[in-house]
Amino acid sequence: MIEVVLNDRLGKKVRVKCNEDDTIGDLKKLVAAQTGTRAEKIRIQKWYKVYADHITLSDYEIHDGMGLELYYN
Amino acid sequence: MANRTDPTAKNIRGTNPQNLVEKILRTKIYQHTYWKEQCFGLTAETLVDKAMELDYVGGTYGGNRKPTPFMCLVMKMLQIQPEKDIVVEFIKNEDYKYVRILGSFYLRLTGVDSDVYQYLEPLYNDYRKLRQKLGDGRFSLTHVDEVIDELLTKDYSCDIALPRIKKRWTLESIGTLEPRKSALEDDFEEEEDKEEDDQAMVEVGEKDHYRRRSPARERDHDRKHDSRRHRDRDNDRECGRGSERERSRDRDRDRDRLYLREDKDNGRERARDRDKGEDREWDRRDRDRGRRRNRSTSRSRSRSRDRRDGRDRRKRHGRGSASPPRRHDEDGNSRDESRKKKPKIEKKDDGTDHPDPEIAEANRLRASLGLKPLRP
Repeated sequence: MIEVVLNDRLGKKVRVKCNEDDTIGDLKKLVAAQTGTRAEKIRIQKWYKVYADHITLSDYEIHDGMGLELYYN
Repeated sequence: MANRTDPTAKNIRGTNPQNLVEKILRTKIYQHTYWKEQCFGLTAETLVDKAMELDYVGGTYGGNRKPTPFMCLVMKMLQIQPEKDIVVEFIKNEDYKYVRILGSFYLRLTGVDSDVYQYLEPLYNDYRKLRQKLGDGRFSLTHVDEVIDELLTKDYSCDIALPRIKKRWTLESIGTLEPRKSALEDDFEEEEDKEEDDQAMVEVGEKDHYRRRSPARERDHDRKHDSRRHRDRDNDRECGRGSERERSRDRDRDRDRLYLREDKDNGRERARDRDKGEDREWDRRDRDRGRRRNRSTSRSRSRSRDRRDGRDRRKRHGRGSASPPRRHDEDGNSRDESRKKKPKIEKKDDGTDHPDPEIAEANRLRASLGLKPLRP
């Protein structure tokens, strides 16, 4: 179980607990449940790399405590 | 200039009609080439030509959420705000299904509740296939009536949050709408007649059937709702109690009450459910008042006996710890240990009974989303 931090630099900073084999799509659903935005409206990036929905966190090498950027569609 | 709403356009739901689409999506549409090239200077007539060229329905797709031409045309309609007749023409036309969907989508966004139901429900009978572009760029198959159902029941479609409309039974109870006539009603009646004949043979069986159904029916349906009349009919149809339909509704209600009185547990349960909130409040207050009057000087309203005893004991005897007293079982084990033995028997699959409350909460959320529980 890892904990990922998502920050949108406008006031929303969320810590989400998830498994390493969860996909980005699942992570978006968890973030949506915590922030109240819709899951389809969320975009997760790291600098200019937009993370795709169907790839798992372990494949993206996202480890415990890592920070991701939260943007909106 | 090109993106300004027509100055003669009316405000929809208190705001510029283009604001029905969210800011981010709106900006994306304005920057899209289809909008800039094809949708420039469109009028209601030329819009029809563009609409006839539509190939698929959809919201946004791809990593950077490109809008579909369908979205751009919806935006254009919001911008020029065509007359209601034109929109109804779009919906009524039989030849071009995408024009139909475009018109119904626009009506759902801008129309009055009764109009929405009135014009969109006939489209339930249109079974033609549609091409739909999903969020990840793939195409999927859907049908006209599925899309209409989505428009009427969900509050989000094609990446646009649909405005809230009143529920159908609200409009029916006001009288603005007639109760819905399904196209399959004739088929239902036929089936019902058949079942009626079958059941007429087995009279005794039917009585039991009726008795079994009645308390559940009472429990499930809120009597105050006018729609009960409606829902009962549906249920009757399904269980084939057509013969009861002929008798008056009052007799039905009286019989239900009779059965309820017989079936005491159910009645009590119902009353209990309804008054649960109030009763608990009163009980708590009475209990506290009683306690206070008799013995304790503590002001805590908590019902935990441990806490109360601990405080009082300390006040009176001046001894003992501040923490609640640990109760011991006969074996000499503390209560917590004996409690721990029980959860092991009732272990759940999705980890919602995890000892750590945070993780249990997270697992509950994951279960509701359809994900597997957290693995440490």
